[in-house]
Amino acid sequence: MTKLLWGRRRPPLGLAATSVLVVALLVSPLALIVAQAAQGGWAKLWAALDRAFVASLLWNTVRLALAVTALAAALGTSMAWLTERTALPGRRAWAALLVVPIVVPDFVLAWTWSSMFPSVHGYWGSVLVMTLHLYPLVYLPMAAAFRASDPGQEEIARALGLTRWQAWLRVSVRQARSTLLGGSLLVCLALLGYYGAFEDLRYQTFTTAIFGEIQTQFSPQVASSLSLVLVGLSVLVLASEAAFSERGVLRRSGPMAQRAQSPAALGRARLPAVCSVAAVVAPAVGFPVFVVVYWLFAGGSSALPAAVSLGAAAGYTALYSALGAAVATVLALPVSLLATRHPSRWSLTLQRSTFAVQAVPGIVIALALVYAASHFIAFAYQSPELLVAAYAVMFFPLGLVAMTASVARASPRLEEVGRSLGKGPVTVRLQVTLPLVAPGLAAAFCFVFLSAATELTATLLLVPTGVQTLATQFWAYAEEGASFGAAAPYAATMMLMSVVPAYLLGRFFDRSLAAEKAGGAQVLGALT
Amino acid sequence: MAKGKRTRPAQTPTRARDYWYRRLLATALAGVLATALAAVGCPTAPAGASGTRADAITLYNGQHPQLTQAEVTAFEKQTGITVRVRTDDGVVLAEQILEEGARSPADVYLTENSPELMLLSQHHMLAELPKELLEQVPARYVSPTGNWAGVALRVSCLVYDPERVKASQLPAHLIQLAEPRWKGKVAIAPTDSDFLPLVGGVVATYGKQAALRWLQGLKANAVLYADDESVVAAVNRGQVALGVINQYYWYRLRAEVGPRNMRSKLYFFPRRDIGGLENISGAAVLASSRHKQAAERFVEFLVSSKGQRILAASDDYEYPVRPGVAPNPALPPLRAVRPAVLSVVKLGDDLPAAALLQQAGLT
Amino acid sequence: MSTVRLSGISKSYGRLPVLAGLDCEVPEGAVVAVLGKSGSGKTTLLRLVAGFERPDEGTIEIDEDVVDSAQRFVPPERRRVGYVAQEGNLFPHLTVEKNVAFGLSRAERAGGRAEELLALVGLADMGRRYPHQLSGGQQQRVALARALAPRPRVVLLDEPFSSLDAGLRASLRSDVMQLLREQHATTVFVTHDQEEALSVADLVGVMEGGRIRQFAAPEDLYARPLDRTVAEFVGEANILAGHVSSGWADTALGRLRVADALLPNYDGPASVLVRPEQITLRRPAGSSEEPAGTVLQREFYGHDCLLVVGFGATRLRVRCPGRPPAEVGEKVVLSASGEVACWPAPG
Repeated sequence: MTKLLWGRRRPPLGLAATSVLVVALLVSPLALIVAQAAQGGWAKLWAALDRAFVASLLWNTVRLALAVTALAAALGTSMAWLTERTALPGRRAWAALLVVPIVVPDFVLAWTWSSMFPSVHGYWGSVLVMTLHLYPLVYLPMAAAFRASDPGQEEIARALGLTRWQAWLRVSVRQARSTLLGGSLLVCLALLGYYGAFEDLRYQTFTTAIFGEIQTQFSPQVASSLSLVLVGLSVLVLASEAAFSERGVLRRSGPMAQRAQSPAALGRARLPAVCSVAAVVAPAVGFPVFVVVYWLFAGGSSALPAAVSLGAAAGYTALYSALGAAVATVLALPVSLLATRHPSRWSLTLQRSTFAVQAVPGIVIALALVYAASHFIAFAYQSPELLVAAYAVMFFPLGLVAMTASVARASPRLEEVGRSLGKGPVTVRLQVTLPLVAPGLAAAFCFVFLSAATELTATLLLVPTGVQTLATQFWAYAEEGASFGAAAPYAATMMLMSVVPAYLLGRFFDRSLAAEKAGGAQVLGALT
Repeated sequence: MAKGKRTRPAQTPTRARDYWYRRLLATALAGVLATALAAVGCPTAPAGASGTRADAITLYNGQHPQLTQAEVTAFEKQTGITVRVRTDDGVVLAEQILEEGARSPADVYLTENSPELMLLSQHHMLAELPKELLEQVPARYVSPTGNWAGVALRVSCLVYDPERVKASQLPAHLIQLAEPRWKGKVAIAPTDSDFLPLVGGVVATYGKQAALRWLQGLKANAVLYADDESVVAAVNRGQVALGVINQYYWYRLRAEVGPRNMRSKLYFFPRRDIGGLENISGAAVLASSRHKQAAERFVEFLVSSKGQRILAASDDYEYPVRPGVAPNPALPPLRAVRPAVLSVVKLGDDLPAAALLQQAGLT
Repeated sequence: MSTVRLSGISKSYGRLPVLAGLDCEVPEGAVVAVLGKSGSGKTTLLRLVAGFERPDEGTIEIDEDVVDSAQRFVPPERRRVGYVAQEGNLFPHLTVEKNVAFGLSRAERAGGRAEELLALVGLADMGRRYPHQLSGGQQQRVALARALAPRPRVVLLDEPFSSLDAGLRASLRSDVMQLLREQHATTVFVTHDQEEALSVADLVGVMEGGRIRQFAAPEDLYARPLDRTVAEFVGEANILAGHVSSGWADTALGRLRVADALLPNYDGPASVLVRPEQITLRRPAGSSEEPAGTVLQREFYGHDCLLVVGFGATRLRVRCPGRPPAEVGEKVVLSASGEVACWPAPG
């Protein structure tokens, strides 16, 4: 039923060259960080790392990552099962609500909890907040997998004697195993990169330590060396996922039409099921929204003056995020085309290496760019272009993932047919390929925009003089001013700005799966 | 195998529509690119170098925006010189200036604590200030080499929760906080730039070894926070018994939440213990500045009576340096507080303190 | 209606040769089938004619115009060659009607050509639907309508019916072929199904080893294959050892006439092809000298049956009309009739 597809034709030179260039650009921050860390010599680097402090950071980071990844995976999968495979009352509404946490940035979520319940801090506080924030990264792809799965296979399993529950576990969940791994990977990597939330929750991780180093030490060497450890951790996570997942692009070759799943009836378990979903939605969605609204109206001004007005901050945020999204989308297109149209070990490696960029946390990319700008590209120093470049680099993999399904759908065979019908190559690309790829491009744009608009860590380091984004101004109020009332409008604006792209993104995933079941398998392949 | 190269298709024009589509696409792409560049170019106006106009300077601001904003607004109104402000941690900015070197876009550097200025001075990054400017400020609040001037003062102290610890139980010496009886009761913010000078003060008073032991004791005893604002907020909420801060944070919190919500109190170390270190916040003009005159005018404004009165009237709650200008009425007089006075030379720069912090495992 | 001529076509992918010196000539208005195993390069051949790829060597001419040679290349959009792929490849973002109208000029679209073709393929009321709402067979028909709409000179079909289930395949096949003949379109379609090729085409080319081994009408191909491989490809074959002299072959099944024009002056040992339907069986009547064998297997198809008979060291496949004359295990007497094809055999 599935066929592993390997092409045997070489890609056009222009496409290959562009892709290699893009990937080289993305991977260069890593090289810069290594250069910066080695500035004082390798012995000094090792001495900076070989300390009990670093060991405690490692312990903190690892145990948090394990706990949150496991919990988020369990939560995401179970919620996905409830909304996609059971007869849960109000399924569609719950499904929409469960995705909302994507719109709430990590540092805002942590702030809502710590402002109302200061006792939420440290390890357990971080586990709670991070799980509530990150489970959608597992929920979304798992829901897609469950929706697109073939009931025929489970039926066969049941004919072979397995119970319904066993059939689901051993057939569908196993098949969705790589999707689960992919989602867990995203959770883990995101966790490693966060700064704001941990600062707020007073939990020492590598990112808070890196910022601490920047604020107390007068050379960037120690900060860079910590960054290297962080990157090492991320690469480890990436490698372990690669070891467990399957290779190749999965394509379903079978009859196009597919029967719908019959949802499992819950019977008496209906009320507990609804309660459990509500028990997730309430703290993950209801609570932060409530707190933001509360502080909006409870007011309380701050003596801290805003460097820029709310409107200006929103304008800067929108502008830089949009530019970053545009650049990332444009860069991702050749790589995506190469990966889908000329799949080979070579192009897959290229694609995978761009995911290695995801392993480099935002702070590290920012540090590398600052280093590059101050040493090599003087005109870019403290410029908005640098910030836009940071966004494009950091969120490039997200854009790639979002557009791969659409690009795969726009097969070159369709272009050939179009040409045989008498249309020139450019016309065919405009009339055939572009409409098919456009939803994917839009989804990539939305995904990157969403992530950039709520980005804090890199922005803190790269924001040009005189400019504030919603995130940095919020941070100034929430952390430095400890003034909740003044911070709330910025949080609210950030969340509102994220709603539209998040909604569009959700619809894209929904439609691309409902319209073509075969596309669903491709999305699965793209997400893993 | 291939016999000769296959030629490209002859330049027969493709269908007219295809040709025009190509043109349209190229034009659209060029238009989008141009718009993008223009859009990015516009807000570049505040960023980057100050430009060649004489009436604009860039300020690297390590002080709190509360103070700086008031001063900048008044200065701009008085002189018409635009000030572009980059606010960040004082240590971070000093580090940036060092990295930037002669290319630094900064004209003025205003920071919270003198050690950063001493470090920049040692690296010859600062320009000499005119004598008339320096004479307006008492000698001990001015750089010994004449290239920076004090602007405001703050005093280190303890904030404590009277319900959890009585005033009589509070330590007479800062160094005593490392004792085991304070375990879990002390809040510090080691990454706040206000902490480094305090460590420097302990080093100057007791020596490096004792300072290291003190830090190690603190690491065992203390609850860590990101900055002094969080420390004072936490003590006020009743989360921790006491915290090490600079006095003005307490007053600022009081201004924000109201006197009724302040359950914490301030405690100043007696007998000029180093725990009551007097921190000098100062300003300097960078040697690499291309607008030295305008920059000097700004520094002068900061120490002028007008600038100092703005400081006293603001919600900043730091002590003015200019003699004859009364501090904010909410503050106790400086004499009554009896801060420990350490010459800026003895306090030095933050480098040994930073190294000790690393050694102790606090950063 | 156009002729298609391929001369000396060679194509390799990397170091893998796919086509090697292929020659073929398709007459005007003919329906030609290219028959070959999977991976024999049939699709590549079609793609070369369509212009999606270029050969390493050789020339392609359509209607005496050179469309591909070392000096000249006409891109696909100017060749007026229609192409229907195995998966249909309808544009998923366009309705059926828009799909069919894709290759038409504005004037043609206004003139209702798309509706005309949809009616021709029997999908007149499906215009507003989207491809994913149609069944596989319907999609193939739309693909065909789309390819025919701009009145192409040549229509190329790449295994157009292989993705459909058997029952549908036969009926759709006859509909499509009828339509193509009505349009007098020069058609080339590739398939690996010999039944399909023989039943539908005017001329069949058997492809193997990167070349066309034999290109002839189905009857000729079946009765007079050029060699053993071709013979086995186009139908069931019983190959017997025999001796040929002056137009007659002596085999274990008796003396048979050699099909004319084959081996005119050959005298010597040969492999002789006897088709299953050329052999008759009957129950032995007493002991006789006639060749005999034992029935090993039988498959009953209703209108005829296929028996596998053990004959000496070989197994013969025999086709009998109606009910089988003998059961499994029984002894039967064999005799052959009709003309046979032969090829010289070594010693």
